[in-house]
Amino acid sequence: MRLVEWRARSFSDPAQRLQFLQRRLGPFPDSRRSSWRALTRMPILTTLGLALAGIGLIPASRRALGLALPFVLASAPATPKVQMTPPSIARSAAAPSLPHVWQVEANHQFDLYSNGLRIENRFQTSTERRTYLAFPRAHSETHSGERRTQPAGIVFHTTESHLAPFEEGQNRMLKREGEGLLEYVSRNHSYHFVIDRFGRVFRIVGEADYANHAGNSIWADQTWIYINLNQSFFGVAFEARSQPKEGELPVNAAQVHAARTLTEMLRARYGVAADNCVTHAQVSVYPAGRSAGYHTDWAANLPFEELGLTNNYLQPLPSVTLFGFSATALLEEARDSPLAKGLEAAQDQVRAEARVQNVSEHRYRQLLQIRYKDTITALHAKGALQENN
Amino acid sequence: MTNTNTQIATAIGLDVGTSRIVTARRKDKDIQFAKQLNAFVTIPFSKLTQGVLKKERIPHLVQDSEIIVYGDESERFANLFHKETRRPMLRGVLNKDETESPVLVRYLVTLLTGEDVGEGKKLCFSIPAAPVGASEEVNEHEAELKSMFGKLGYDARSISEGLAVVYGEMESSNYTGIGISCGGGLCNVCLAYLSVPVFSFSIPKGGDFIDSSVAELRGEPATRIRTIKEESFHFNGHFANKIYDSLAIFYEDMMQALVAALKDTFASVQNMPKLNRPIPLVLSGGSAMAPGFRDRFEKIMRDTELPVAISEVRLAPSPMHSTARGALVAALSDM
Repeated sequence: MRLVEWRARSFSDPAQRLQFLQRRLGPFPDSRRSSWRALTRMPILTTLGLALAGIGLIPASRRALGLALPFVLASAPATPKVQMTPPSIARSAAAPSLPHVWQVEANHQFDLYSNGLRIENRFQTSTERRTYLAFPRAHSETHSGERRTQPAGIVFHTTESHLAPFEEGQNRMLKREGEGLLEYVSRNHSYHFVIDRFGRVFRIVGEADYANHAGNSIWADQTWIYINLNQSFFGVAFEARSQPKEGELPVNAAQVHAARTLTEMLRARYGVAADNCVTHAQVSVYPAGRSAGYHTDWAANLPFEELGLTNNYLQPLPSVTLFGFSATALLEEARDSPLAKGLEAAQDQVRAEARVQNVSEHRYRQLLQIRYKDTITALHAKGALQENN
Repeated sequence: MTNTNTQIATAIGLDVGTSRIVTARRKDKDIQFAKQLNAFVTIPFSKLTQGVLKKERIPHLVQDSEIIVYGDESERFANLFHKETRRPMLRGVLNKDETESPVLVRYLVTLLTGEDVGEGKKLCFSIPAAPVGASEEVNEHEAELKSMFGKLGYDARSISEGLAVVYGEMESSNYTGIGISCGGGLCNVCLAYLSVPVFSFSIPKGGDFIDSSVAELRGEPATRIRTIKEESFHFNGHFANKIYDSLAIFYEDMMQALVAALKDTFASVQNMPKLNRPIPLVLSGGSAMAPGFRDRFEKIMRDTELPVAISEVRLAPSPMHSTARGALVAALSDM
């Protein structure tokens, strides 16, 4: 509890502090009933957990307090052995449960699913079977990574292609542009799925294969870290351009509906967690500059709730909290948005962890960045970098 | 790829009090408050009067053969027409004797927010903790308000008034402590530990209780007593004026009842968290604003043995805004 209190103090914004406490201790309480009773066992558990975690026995107890497991830099001899405790991602308060969706019909032209989703197959292409390494948060620098073939999440994109006015008189142009886009992304294996402007879903790359959609990218859930998400995450693109106007959706209702049914199907078939359904802006990184947010599509305005998801913009970015990437540029682009909250929370966590480790924030970031370098080196050594890209 | 501007997240904190309705909204780094008296007065309908009210932009609505003036202006019109203002709410909940009370609360909220539609904004509104034996009333009150705000287009949820005070004033102690709101109809109390409520309760004594008790004792209209109380009363231990003397007696009664209820509640709560340090207590609400109130309350607290140590008894910097501020913090934290 003291650690929770201590960490809460690092949030200067009262709402963020309250949000942090509620995430750690429970949801917003019923307005009239005491919620304390439900939590009265927690101090005992967390105290016990803390005591055991201190000697490295119970990792879960640290995670419950929002602390990832400590790791020691293994492959940087010149680096002081600072025990680092980067925080885990704050989970969404109420992650929606997985819907039940099944395939009704499948043929060369289309697949039909029980929730009304219809996937057109005429632009389908293939690459190679998905295979990637996922690293446990607990020992990412020493663990060689677990090889996987099942997708872990979804990255949402916009195609940023040219868009004709969405008007009845523009039908011919709308169709021509859409076909051109689909041919292009199919040639380049750019995404797994594209949702065109009429809300039609096109399969571009088969679900068992990787697609070239995320490039240099980082995400993490409570247990695993994913580096370069082409292999580990599905890429779903909306035929759209990022909307510069505040509050305006860059997509239409038909596209949102299609995305919802597609997301439901992917989550149902592959057990994708809601917290691993994120936007390209959230995962994209520029490794040479150690900066987050190299690509900024869906830096704001993705209607998470309408897709049956929780608002993941509020999650602290793993690229910042786990690998010390700078979010300054992205923060500038996303100011006043929910993503800015996630970015600020991530930066607050880095500052708080630096204080816990008794090193400067700059030094702590450097150490985290070395961790990234080590992880990439490990991927190279295993010949898996290409796979993960 | 291009970057996008973003939708500014908006939320509203709403203190639905017996005597006042207060809204809180965040603008940039600041919080902006607006309030209106939760009161109304009826005057006979005439086209001329209605025309004047429209011209002067005085909030009103026409109901059969009457014009209902509501909000702050109701007091001025009550004085003008030698009438008492009426209340859409009584003892913390919608007044069942006033059939138009839900409509008036809706008009007042619309007046304060300046919005006819909520557009899905988060809205957190305060409700009282149920006095003993009156939980049904509070449930109905909460359901009615929630439905009303939902129809206005808000994503609405409730928060206990005492807990809202904790959220509004106890950030520095990580939302641990006792929040007390001394309002018009009730005094609401909540003990929270790290934002989690341990207990909440209310006592049916507040500003109205003091006004009506003194009015009855001194044979004066309650409105006059309230004016005296708000404009010139203060605790100084010696009162030559009989009205001041009576006010002090009933204030004292309210405070004693509050502290006694606090003590009883502590005694009855099971599974109290182990508090490893003294906790703060914050006083808020219009009835806590009388000069000297905090000192007097602290003395009563000191004379009462409680199972927890109190580090400080603090008057909120802006007591009228504490509940709305806390409701706003709750709404923002929910986004």
